[in-house]
Amino acid sequence: MPDASPTTVAQSTHDPVVAGPAVDPEERELVAAVIRKDRKATAELVGRFADAIHAYVRQRLAPRAEMVDDLVQEVFLAALKGLPSFAGRSSLKVWLLGIARHKVEDHYRAHLRRAETLSDFDDDSAFVPVEQPRFDELIDDERVRDKTRRVLARLPEAYGYALLWRYWERRSVREIAAQTGRTEKAGERLLARARTQFKRLWEVD
Amino acid sequence: MDSEHFFAVVADDTGPDPERDPAPARLKSQIYSRLLAEQAATGRLLSVSETRQSGRPLCVFEALVAHVPLPESVKSMNPCYVCHARHLAEHLDHAPIFWPNCPYSEFHRP
Repeated sequence: MPDASPTTVAQSTHDPVVAGPAVDPEERELVAAVIRKDRKATAELVGRFADAIHAYVRQRLAPRAEMVDDLVQEVFLAALKGLPSFAGRSSLKVWLLGIARHKVEDHYRAHLRRAETLSDFDDDSAFVPVEQPRFDELIDDERVRDKTRRVLARLPEAYGYALLWRYWERRSVREIAAQTGRTEKAGERLLARARTQFKRLWEVD
Repeated sequence: MDSEHFFAVVADDTGPDPERDPAPARLKSQIYSRLLAEQAATGRLLSVSETRQSGRPLCVFEALVAHVPLPESVKSMNPCYVCHARHLAEHLDHAPIFWPNCPYSEFHRP
């Protein structure tokens, strides 16, 4: 199981939830009941946290919605295995989102490593600067949300994941490059092309 | 607005939203079934009698099993495996199941 410690989760200022106070007694009881294999407690765990985990994974896997269900299920399976080591230093939700974050980053890593062989990342002729999108386009949150999802879905998978990893998970180019076995320069090139393509699709959407 | 700023604004505006992207009831049902199967694979589940004693209400079928004079090991089995509610809940987005205290019904409650 990945290290999903609350410390790791709290490192990003862009986390879906901010690490809160230590876990409350009710959550401790729920964890203990799930470990005792109380079926109703297991149902409560799913019912209480599946929406938050699903929303996070759905948003982070925007280009590949069909992968979301499997990944959410993996998060809960990993959580079930890891519950005995849940120390209660954060809320259960933060802890679960930490596991989800690791799963999402594993997914990015695997896909971007595979994409390394795509030659177009190294083809500078593909790079054409485009105009910056206008700020007033970003005012309507709902519209931005829908448009972002559409644009990400139309991007090549590797571009979408690179952007999500960089800007939504707020990982540095150096971190992304290191995790995918690229040089930092290659990581910059991938992101530059991803940004260009994103903005081009944004303009025509 | 430069690229970095643009993407920072877009990312901030499009964070996860559980109200907008809730887990489908079908998925919750599948996850619950999978977790119970995992738990059962590594030792018996808490029996339905023990579950009731711990203060969690049972559905009508579980309550029936709890009342029958059977060994606890039998009462630890999961009657949901043979229940129509589980089957419907795992395959439909709006399953017509309304049993009180049935987790699958709870997942599908609007």
